[in-house]
Amino acid sequence: MVYGLPLARLPQVDEIPDRPTTAGPASSLPQPHLQVARTTAAVSGALEVLALALVSPLAGLFLAIHTFTIKYTSQVMLEALPALTSVVAVLAYDHSQRRWNGWLLLSAVALGLTASGKYIFCLIGVAIVIHWLWQTFPRNGRGAAWLRWLEPVVIWGILALGVFLATDPYLWPAPVERLRESIFFHGQYTQSDAVQRAGLPTWQPLAWLAQSVPWHSGVFVVSLDGLMTLLAILGLKQLWQRNRLYVIWLAVGLGFLFVWPTKWPQYILVLSVPVSLAAAEGFKARVWEPLVRWARRLRTEGLRSDRLRARLMPRSVWRALPWLLPGVIVLLLIAFYPLLYQAGMALTDFNTVSIKDGINGGIWREVRDGLTAQVEPVDVDIFSFGRSTSREVHYAGIGPLLQFFTGAGADLLVFEVLWTVLSVGLQATLGVAVALMLHRRGVRFKGWWQTIFILPWAIPEFVGALIWMLIADPTYGWFFLGTRASFSQTPGHPLAQTLSLWQQNPNLALIVLLLAGTWLGFPLIMLAASAGLKMIPSEVYDAAAMDGANVWQRFRTLTWPLLLPLLAPALIIRGISAFNQFYLFYVLQTVWPVTTLASVSYFIFDSAGKYATSAVINLFTVILLVTLLLWFNRWSKAGEGVTYA
Amino acid sequence: MRKLTLREQLAYQFALALVALFVLVPIWGMARLAFDEALKGAPVTFRLWPEEFSFTAFQKVWKSPSQSLSFLGLLKNSLVVAGGAAVTSVVFGASMAYAFARFRFPGRQVGLFGLLLGTLLPQVALMTPLYVLLTILGIRASLLGLMIVYTAFCMPFCIWNMRAAFQAVPEELEEAAFLEGATPSIAFWRVTLPLALPSIAVAALMAFLIGYTEFAIGWLFVERGENVTLAMAVSGMLGHGQAWSSLAALALLMSLPVVLAFLLLRRYLMRGLLMGTIEG
Repeated sequence: MVYGLPLARLPQVDEIPDRPTTAGPASSLPQPHLQVARTTAAVSGALEVLALALVSPLAGLFLAIHTFTIKYTSQVMLEALPALTSVVAVLAYDHSQRRWNGWLLLSAVALGLTASGKYIFCLIGVAIVIHWLWQTFPRNGRGAAWLRWLEPVVIWGILALGVFLATDPYLWPAPVERLRESIFFHGQYTQSDAVQRAGLPTWQPLAWLAQSVPWHSGVFVVSLDGLMTLLAILGLKQLWQRNRLYVIWLAVGLGFLFVWPTKWPQYILVLSVPVSLAAAEGFKARVWEPLVRWARRLRTEGLRSDRLRARLMPRSVWRALPWLLPGVIVLLLIAFYPLLYQAGMALTDFNTVSIKDGINGGIWREVRDGLTAQVEPVDVDIFSFGRSTSREVHYAGIGPLLQFFTGAGADLLVFEVLWTVLSVGLQATLGVAVALMLHRRGVRFKGWWQTIFILPWAIPEFVGALIWMLIADPTYGWFFLGTRASFSQTPGHPLAQTLSLWQQNPNLALIVLLLAGTWLGFPLIMLAASAGLKMIPSEVYDAAAMDGANVWQRFRTLTWPLLLPLLAPALIIRGISAFNQFYLFYVLQTVWPVTTLASVSYFIFDSAGKYATSAVINLFTVILLVTLLLWFNRWSKAGEGVTYA
Repeated sequence: MRKLTLREQLAYQFALALVALFVLVPIWGMARLAFDEALKGAPVTFRLWPEEFSFTAFQKVWKSPSQSLSFLGLLKNSLVVAGGAAVTSVVFGASMAYAFARFRFPGRQVGLFGLLLGTLLPQVALMTPLYVLLTILGIRASLLGLMIVYTAFCMPFCIWNMRAAFQAVPEELEEAAFLEGATPSIAFWRVTLPLALPSIAVAALMAFLIGYTEFAIGWLFVERGENVTLAMAVSGMLGHGQAWSSLAALALLMSLPVVLAFLLLRRYLMRGLLMGTIEG
């Protein structure tokens, strides 16, 4: 109806036949109509930004430069209107303080409008209800109190439902049937060919959040979506303290998008508002305030020159130098220079065709000419399969590296983080659990059990990977030989079929990898936890037992906090090895994006012969590790627990 | 803490047995193949036990594990590249580790940071440039080239651990040597080094293992069959129509010494793996 009003002024044109959702954009839409429709969408997108800016100007700014939001609120898509009304519903609810006033009515109306705009945005209704019920939960309520608790929420919901039925003209002829039909449509759509063929992993919404719109190159002035998401993660705690409602919104939205099998990019518009709010909090707490503090300290203290001078004691240089020299020379030759050379390679388009020129000094020649602006950088698409046919190396500038930072590797990076967190989490859970069992006084055969459990740690990682390949190989692995034997009456049983394609299915591949990763990694954590548990004095437990703490309370309030600092080195080591994991992925042969930076770099080098791209990925890894290390260093110094220096 | 009842004891044993199954079943999946004489290629039926139990696969991979080398030939290559890398790292890195442990000098923090970064870097990150640089030098496909690559992988790690080993030696002992008129280098040779030697040996062993178990990068560098290492031979059996029993037997054979070393030295190795941050 909203789009119809401005369109009604225009002359009528022939009806354009309905097209399947998988078809590309129609190219022959009547220009004036298209322009009016896009303007209408853009206006509601702009109003959405305005509404958010009323609450937090910085968040409004973030939302205004969020490329996915820009794209889907300025094209003729369904998102623009419900995005606006959903924000209005939440803001009005928040402003109403849950008292019956105009604001609460407005939020119900806006929710109804949202429902007639697009169902998925109704998730904000779920978030509101959770928040509402949580805030007004009657602690010691009886009968009537429970009724009083639920009553306003139900009335509010019925109101929204009424508005929905009244404002969705599609439902008017036969409300019940058409409502059921439209909901069933979405359910069936999740099983449709288009969705199945896309084969996007469960965690795809995170991948959409981690990158800017990868299409329409050159259209967006800034593309900082990934950075915004990072800031949002950093600012979640502050947002939770400021207003839980938005964090609940984020959690409900993300949870639903994880579960819902259709993973189209436009769905993350449900999340872009709370992400912007969290990013604003993150920017304030982690960027702006530290900067202000730093500037203030600089002004008051000035540079501490005396300390600097103390560090540069010349005598000790001469004393240390002869000791350092042999190692430094070797490391400079075999590690430092190669890394420098790699940085040079990353600035070119060096590949297997131009290898002759490259090894005859072509790399440094191009880097020198490029940095002194004697040659123009060439365009390189780092992940395309085609490679230049030129036998000469060309300067490509920082374009390839920037491509990687602005989203070409977002899928990969999201998987890296997910893989590192999940695999270390599982290893730690199993490792600590086993260590606790072995620590319990009176358990028999401890030594035997421990010897068995450290076997995966003692077996070289690549043999461990082979062991899992012998299980999980789709044709010859014994798991599949076993399942095929039990499904043999029905050849091509759909379940067996799906399972045996696990390498192509990101979710199944992650599960297999996690099993193998846990198997490989838990022994080290178990050993570290066993050593740590021995250091916790038993008096602590005796005191807790006297206080009547149960097993779980004892673990959560005593064992875990005391154990964590002792476990931290093992967790960090396992985290880094998970991040760098290579042999497991090499042997189990999973496909993009279920792989690590190291494996991708290897395969691009080995199979595609794109040496420069491999160098770009490696350089990216180095930068990432340096950042992480600096952060760990600050963190460990602040905690004064483990020092690495 | 009160004593366990029989029921609790059984519950504990049951839970531990489950974890043991999780650990052992995959290993058995490989061991079963190695002991099966009937297996000619890849397994085609599901079995829990070998069809014809024998050590034939082990005998076969002992005699001719690859086309051009015997098991001992492969082992020799492994020892040359991995042992060479470990020895180079210790010989050239020991004094540097000592300097980081004992002296204060400008750039020390940066150096430590660089060492830690080198330790945590994925091997592939050094592979790409080393491939090109060693090609330029013309030694890429030789054992020397591979040894240099593995040295680059393990040296920062080795120095980091040796530094921890030197730090663990009390400074008072050196000071006592100084009072007797020893120079710093004599104190190092006669006092600190002997005391740190066991920990250095463990560091060297772990550096050795990095090269001993590496294969993917090796395959990229090496061109001729006579330069293949043990780990490379194992991975080379993947998908080349070889009997899986040979693959499993060779993998077990090459892992056996490592597993024994880990079981015997577990406390020292763990301390090394955690980079001297906690006492095991």
